[in-house]
Amino acid sequence: MKASNMTNKILPTLSMLVYIFLWAPVIILVLFSFSSNRFGIKWESFTLQWYFDIIGNVAVRDALIRSLTIASITIVVATIAGTIAAYGLYKYKFRGRGALRTTILLPMVMPSVVTGGALLVFFSRAIHIPLGYLSITIAHITFCTPLAMFVVLGRMARIDWSLEEASADLGADRLTTWRKITIPVLLPAMIASAALIFPWSFDDFIITYFVAGVGTTTLPIYIFSQLRFGATPVINTIGTILVVLPIISVLLMRFLQKKK
Amino acid sequence: MERVPKNLRQKVAKLLTKQAHVPYVGPIALWMVLFVIAPLVIILYFSVLSTGPLGQIISSFTLRNYADVLKGAYGIILLRSLAFAFGTNMICLLIGYPLAYWIVRYGGRWKITLIFLIIIPSWTCYLIRLYALKTLIGTTGLINSTLLSLGLISSPLQVLYTPFAVMLGLVYTWFPFMVLPIYASLVGLDPSLLEAADDLGATPFQKFFTVTLPLTKGGVFAGTILVFIPALGEWLVPLLLGGAKVMMAGSLVEYYFIKVGNIPAGSAIAATITAIVLLVVYLGIKLGGQEVLERVT
Repeated sequence: MKASNMTNKILPTLSMLVYIFLWAPVIILVLFSFSSNRFGIKWESFTLQWYFDIIGNVAVRDALIRSLTIASITIVVATIAGTIAAYGLYKYKFRGRGALRTTILLPMVMPSVVTGGALLVFFSRAIHIPLGYLSITIAHITFCTPLAMFVVLGRMARIDWSLEEASADLGADRLTTWRKITIPVLLPAMIASAALIFPWSFDDFIITYFVAGVGTTTLPIYIFSQLRFGATPVINTIGTILVVLPIISVLLMRFLQKKK
Repeated sequence: MERVPKNLRQKVAKLLTKQAHVPYVGPIALWMVLFVIAPLVIILYFSVLSTGPLGQIISSFTLRNYADVLKGAYGIILLRSLAFAFGTNMICLLIGYPLAYWIVRYGGRWKITLIFLIIIPSWTCYLIRLYALKTLIGTTGLINSTLLSLGLISSPLQVLYTPFAVMLGLVYTWFPFMVLPIYASLVGLDPSLLEAADDLGATPFQKFFTVTLPLTKGGVFAGTILVFIPALGEWLVPLLLGGAKVMMAGSLVEYYFIKVGNIPAGSAIAATITAIVLLVVYLGIKLGGQEVLERVT
């Protein structure tokens, strides 16, 4: 009786509260980006004024272009590098395989301040890479490639590899097999990993903040610089973009995959 | 004369088949060594260097940086970070496990949607989520203004810039990362084992503690790695929600590396955090977290 009470009443109530807790701040932020209140903290009347404001804002546009550029390069490099690495880990047994897997997990679990701080010192004091586009992109590739690799690795177990063996049996060379069989077979997994990398790179604030130096303002860094002026509708509108774009990206990919 | 090169060729060919994995895993291994291992080694190196009176780095060995971060006010900040990270982890576990259980057990065809609704916030910009939470609980925020207009309170509740606000922010940020691995391990649980426990006359509580929980401990440890570690190194949550009063270890890293540019001191704190992180990862993996960890990423 006691156990069924718990599952019937307490669990659903608890779950509802969790959903409200996780979603309320985000939903309110999105709603207030359409509110005419000039502090963006309460509802007055519907307006699109703040969105028109940021369209004309050069700083925002530049930051958006920077963020998208870095995210695009990161997606391409990390997805390809991650897929190649996943293939090697899946197909071959070799010494140090377990250690390599664990090492690749590290950048995903390290606190961002440690990753960012260590890379900052490494770039500026050890290998003298100028802080800016290059350092940010290297940092993003470093924490996104492991994600790509584990996403692809996870899906490799569910792939039917007999075609690849058949291709080799029929005398196709390595390159032809890759081009005709392996890449097409892995493509859905690669698309999935690209969709997951996009928010990681596009939304990253802490690591980017550490290695960005002066002047290379990405969108999250721009927002951070605006926070000291207190609550403004501009933050709500850009925030809405930063929240909605990644969600659309991931949902779209899931939808496309499901259809297949 | 002829035989030697042929022999050599065979040896090379043998070596090539033995090393066939190198073209695939070589690049990532090299990248990891260069941009993950080397930077950590560099900060370990800087953490034992002295600083001169003008803040310049002097190449002489010292452990003073470590002594400084472990004692006095900074030691307290480090201890607070550990306590907050542990607290966050426990709250996430105590709420996250029942939630994941509820989704898997009673979610039916809504299972995927329900777990997605938990994970989606973690895909969105973390800075924006924290800002949204901050404005919501601020003195002029929606919660306070609603309570004021309803007459339930006479002056705004001061939630912001308290330890409570920091804990709230930590749970808010990292909660999804606890639910996901637990969900993954609960989904993988063989239902026939539970039926067997039923047949043998186990009570629901016995069933949970002797079958379900032990078989999903991998998820719990993976979740702990994903929650405890980032919470420990948190900088943005204490900055936005705690103000200057409630700093954490990550705040010190940012302060030394960015604000004052004292690399040895910053490195000592970062190295201390790294040591704790490696210990937690080692324990988590030892106790069975790695497989789930890789699966949920």
